[in-house]
Amino acid sequence: MQSYAQKPILFIGAKAHLGNGKVIENSVISIQNGKFEIVADASMIRIDPNAFDTIYKVYNNHIYPAFIAPNTTIGLTEIDAVRATHDYAETGGINPNIRSLIAYNTDSKIINTIRTNGILIAQVTPQGGLISGQSSVVYLDGKNWQDAVLKADDGIHINWPNSYYKTGWWAEPGKTKKNKEYQNNINELSKLFLKAKAYSSSNILDLRMESMQGLFNGKKNLYVHANSVSDIRDVIEFFDKFKIPNITIVGGEDGDEVSTLLEAKNISLIINRVHRLPKSQDCRIDEPFTQAKKLSNNKIRFCLSYSGDMEAMGLRNLPFTAGTTVTYGQKYEDAIKSITLDAAKILGIDDKVGSIEKGKDASFFISTGDALDMISNDIKHAFIKGNQIDLNNHQKDLYNKYKK
Amino acid sequence: MRTLKIFLILIFCNKLQAQEVFSIEGVKENFIPIYAFTNTKIIATPEIEYQNGVLIIQGKKIISVGEATDIKVPDEAVVFDLEGDYIYPSFIDLYSDYGLPKIKKDIYSYRPQYERNTKGAFHWNQAIHPEIDACDNYVNSEENRKSYLYNGFGVVLTHQKDGIFRGTGACVALSQKSESENLLLPKAASIFSFKKGVSQQKYPNSLMGSIALIRQTFLNTEWYEEQKNQNNLSYNAIIENKDLPNIFILNDELDYSRVQKIADEFEIDFVLKGNGKEFLRINEIIDTESPIILPIDFPKAYEVNNPETTEWITLSELKLWETAPYNPSILSKNNIEFCITSASLEDSKDFLKNIRIAIKKGLNKSDALASLTTTPAKIIEIDHLCGTIEKDKHANFIICSNDIFEEGKIYENWVLGEQNVVNKKQTNDFRGYYTFNSDEFNNAKIIIKGEKSKPLIIFKELDTNKVNLSISDNNINIFDDNGSFRGIGKIYNNKISGRYQNKSGAYYEFTMIRDSLLDDPEQNKITKKHNSLAIPNIWLPNKAYGFEKLPIKENIIFNNATVWTNEEKGIVENYDVVISNGKIIATGFSLEAEKFFPNTEYKTVDATNLHLTSGIIDEHSHIAISRGVNEGSHAVTSEVCIGDVINPNDHNIYRQLAGGTTAAQLLHGSANPIGGQSAIIKFRWGESAENMKISDAPKFIKFALGENVKQSNWGDYERIRFPQTRMGVEQIFYDAFYRAKEYKKTWEEYNDLSRKEKLNTPPPREDLKLNALVEILTSEMFITCHSYVQSEINMLIHVADSIGFNVNTFTHILEGYKVAEKLQEHGAGGSTFSDWWAYKFEVNDAIPYNAALLNDAGVITAINSDNAEMGRRLNQEAAKAVKYGNTSQEDAWKLITLNPAKLLHLDHRMGSIKTGKDADIVLWTANPLSVYAKVVQTYVDGKLMFDIEKDKKIFKRDLKEKMRIIKLMSKEKKSKIKKLKPDKEKHYHCDTIYEHED
Repeated sequence: MQSYAQKPILFIGAKAHLGNGKVIENSVISIQNGKFEIVADASMIRIDPNAFDTIYKVYNNHIYPAFIAPNTTIGLTEIDAVRATHDYAETGGINPNIRSLIAYNTDSKIINTIRTNGILIAQVTPQGGLISGQSSVVYLDGKNWQDAVLKADDGIHINWPNSYYKTGWWAEPGKTKKNKEYQNNINELSKLFLKAKAYSSSNILDLRMESMQGLFNGKKNLYVHANSVSDIRDVIEFFDKFKIPNITIVGGEDGDEVSTLLEAKNISLIINRVHRLPKSQDCRIDEPFTQAKKLSNNKIRFCLSYSGDMEAMGLRNLPFTAGTTVTYGQKYEDAIKSITLDAAKILGIDDKVGSIEKGKDASFFISTGDALDMISNDIKHAFIKGNQIDLNNHQKDLYNKYKK
Repeated sequence: MRTLKIFLILIFCNKLQAQEVFSIEGVKENFIPIYAFTNTKIIATPEIEYQNGVLIIQGKKIISVGEATDIKVPDEAVVFDLEGDYIYPSFIDLYSDYGLPKIKKDIYSYRPQYERNTKGAFHWNQAIHPEIDACDNYVNSEENRKSYLYNGFGVVLTHQKDGIFRGTGACVALSQKSESENLLLPKAASIFSFKKGVSQQKYPNSLMGSIALIRQTFLNTEWYEEQKNQNNLSYNAIIENKDLPNIFILNDELDYSRVQKIADEFEIDFVLKGNGKEFLRINEIIDTESPIILPIDFPKAYEVNNPETTEWITLSELKLWETAPYNPSILSKNNIEFCITSASLEDSKDFLKNIRIAIKKGLNKSDALASLTTTPAKIIEIDHLCGTIEKDKHANFIICSNDIFEEGKIYENWVLGEQNVVNKKQTNDFRGYYTFNSDEFNNAKIIIKGEKSKPLIIFKELDTNKVNLSISDNNINIFDDNGSFRGIGKIYNNKISGRYQNKSGAYYEFTMIRDSLLDDPEQNKITKKHNSLAIPNIWLPNKAYGFEKLPIKENIIFNNATVWTNEEKGIVENYDVVISNGKIIATGFSLEAEKFFPNTEYKTVDATNLHLTSGIIDEHSHIAISRGVNEGSHAVTSEVCIGDVINPNDHNIYRQLAGGTTAAQLLHGSANPIGGQSAIIKFRWGESAENMKISDAPKFIKFALGENVKQSNWGDYERIRFPQTRMGVEQIFYDAFYRAKEYKKTWEEYNDLSRKEKLNTPPPREDLKLNALVEILTSEMFITCHSYVQSEINMLIHVADSIGFNVNTFTHILEGYKVAEKLQEHGAGGSTFSDWWAYKFEVNDAIPYNAALLNDAGVITAINSDNAEMGRRLNQEAAKAVKYGNTSQEDAWKLITLNPAKLLHLDHRMGSIKTGKDADIVLWTANPLSVYAKVVQTYVDGKLMFDIEKDKKIFKRDLKEKMRIIKLMSKEKKSKIKKLKPDKEKHYHCDTIYEHED
């Protein structure tokens, strides 16, 4: 694992968005041994400047905890159209044992273009099949995957079958049809989980079964990708039966409609890309934009993702999708929370990251303007575990070359 | 199980003609009897009825018809007393493939087929086969014949339902006579469609490709007629069949205006076979002035018990279900001539049911009859033979128990003077109170009641649960359900006598004497339902967010706005803008509205704290296109036009308006080096396809370079088409333009001929592909070229410079920043993505600073969407030019307004807030470049197309409408309900290539 920076550094004057819903207008923040030390209001505290190696005077700037991008293929893909660069979807439907971490390419050219916009942590997630495999959470910095890892094999991803599917394509949508394979797929899953439960008392090694054991004792999260109301209800019922402790719904386009159930079962959501088209032609045109606000109103814990087309290279727009939720009713600091602390809680990494609080990793960045708005997002410094990271990238190089 | 209870009895085989072309075996039947039908109501034509009519026929023909008082029944006639039954002319169906062999599709091959795979002197495209004559393949088909007879049809126009130029259809009578006698007209009509059918040839794979192919084929025909050097059987057939009626098969209501354009161009009158949704675009359908062949396969109700699954049914489907049965009535109220076909019904038994539904929804009976008889007869020019009951016409008629449009049951369907029994008429009435006697039973009481043709029996003395009765003519069969009583008998006067077998096997004689008739035999008759005649509201378009009434051009003063003028003044605060008649008429500080509108009404919009901009223009969009954005077959398809296939019903139009986008260039895709012509439209939601087009917009065409055109990502089978490399792409352009130059010269030489010389010289062949390229050479058409890497951009500039044309716009142009100077020199603009990259190998060097760098280099630069989702928040994409490359906010805003207007040569009327320009205006809650900005209102041509407050109300209205129709649906009878169930429909993906065949 990458080491923590040793030197004490001080940042004064910035508006600090702590990630936990709180904001300090004029902040003093210090880091020591790569962790946050002082997090305070400048008017409430006296500081001895001599105690710090470096002091950043960042008046009128904003400080944010590292933005976290869950459910993404970053590092597993380089160019969409080039199959040789794809390492996110294994063949076969049931792959709980495969691990994204070891395929994560720390030198993917895409990574440096993402962190320039404030995203410093990602859940690298495999795709495809009924059980896609295991994700890991990484820092978007490091020389190899051991270096980058923040939480290895944090959970297993299941693609819950869709009970209905849409026909046509975006330009000419067709009718919605029932999926006749739905029940068969559920039966298959059911058999698998029964088997996995029985396996715990066996002494034969089976890679698939072995990999699933963590789900029953809560050591691993279970991420179930499902979108419609009825599918989400079925998911909850299904895994209740198997007493799986840590379930998160990924996608959750209808999530706000099952709030009561989610709240009762204490289940969180990783929601689909906010910048998407409404579910159907009859839906409110701003339906994807207002979902965050509705979930907040219903007190459901959720975080934003950028999954979908071109999700790796487009990931740098995640902060702006949080901005859109503010335009459509979400409180600003709650929007920040939906890409920081709540994401950390859902991924089980909030002991280390997700907010600017004493004792947590000093992984954060400074923007001269509001980081959720594209006209003002301008990251001047970014730190991972107290180490300042390089904000240059392939694209800036080309820019400088051709700018003359 | 589906069983058609049809009993066919052949009485005589009539041959009226004295001579015949076939040989006669054995003894010839010479006596041709006369049949007289008396005591009947004859509906002879939609206008003429004989209350107490007589019909006399001999052989195939009608001898006379009229009121009994006027007609003398000849002594030698066989007389049928119809006891008050009704006679109608039998029906004619113009859309049928009766008696023709099934068409087989070739086994799908992964290897694309660009050329014909069958030999012969035919058209190069296998979907064009005008030489196929249905009459060559027609044979009588007993099974299909029965189902037509059952529904009252006597004559059909049959053709092979395959291909674009389908060939001719044959007019065929549905008698049991030989094919020669049934064939009334071997070539009755030519048939066309937009669907290529079983042909596996690549071209065309889009609707616009089909349209271009049809036009080119007609143009070729004009040229072919004048030449003498070659023979092609397909063209020969087109010429030979020129004077036949032409029938065009359409897919949807938008196809009407598409066919109309072809009809106008080539001066062809088409009869249009519709799809039952004509009411959705009734005005455009009136404009075609064409007769219509109408299916009546009204949609079935959905099961709506589960609220969540009901959500999947769109409001548009619900509204269609409610209004479709009114379609025939709406057409007839608009004086549109139409005939009805029984085709496309899931169950052919629904035919008469649906006709009756249409009657209940307001279609009047005489129009209904005309649509089934005289109109189709007139269309295929057999009205001298069929369609009415008149002297000398074919004896084609149906005998019904009552009014066919109410509840009349068809008893008999006579075709060419030949009787076909459809439903046996029950002449004997068995109903009444009986006394039953046998050795086992003494004076047992029995009641027979219910319907005359299907009575029930009550036989209490019989020791079983259920007693059944079946009757036929004067025969009766009584049997119980455990085999202990099985009897048969005959009725004579009021006495039935017969015998039965009991469970021990012994036979007993019995008699049943009718003591009295029933008091009221009709008591079980169903009371008539009253249906509402009010046509449900039809919105424009008829779906969620559709307008009840189209918005009008308003007089408005916007007060106190922050105005992004895109003019010298820049961004001005506390500024006023006045619009009227679709135009901006004034801008300035503290304007007084009264000055501009002294005597007219106007609206004041307080725009304090709001930002006002001109509407966003999307240089590159693919929304609102029907059935294929790519003619992705040939390498050069400059003949196809997006303008032919605009889909004004796409709900993405409304969504774009809600994001402040008011106009877009709808581009052909990028599947070929020279793609198709684009359409530049304003998002005039609710209007027709034609009305969406910007009237004075110049012509544009899509070119493309790189991975898509060399089919790099199309899979391993697509390695046949030239080009497969960037090297080949260059050669495609040179070749195309050399051919275009030669073509241009040929025409110029022809046009220079004197009038006299022209008389002796046939004109050159007109070629749509080359026409477009010539227009590029003469600067009448502009190029938007999909491009990525610098080498190919350089290449096209070089080709253009050496051939002598200009590239107006490079679209995408993600490496444009590397060749900005060259673009500027050539005079090309760039329309790019804000930050897309890494989706293909060729976009590895795409950078988000591209727009800023191009703009700084003086290249006219735009940011476009190419995506329905991004098209509704292009303001955010423009803002990224501020972030990446420090573009000024004023310049960034121009990237999506004034600059695309310039690229499209529309900046004289769009793209800025300036007096005289179009009132395409957007009001924003905040700086429009900010992620926090929301659209408050969007105007197009001074018409309010989107309003954030109205939008909420419209959503509520839609929900209310949905619930209203769901309520109606839940009342629907179980038998009419369709479940949301899986079916075999294709699942399209968002691929570049889209086959528009269903």
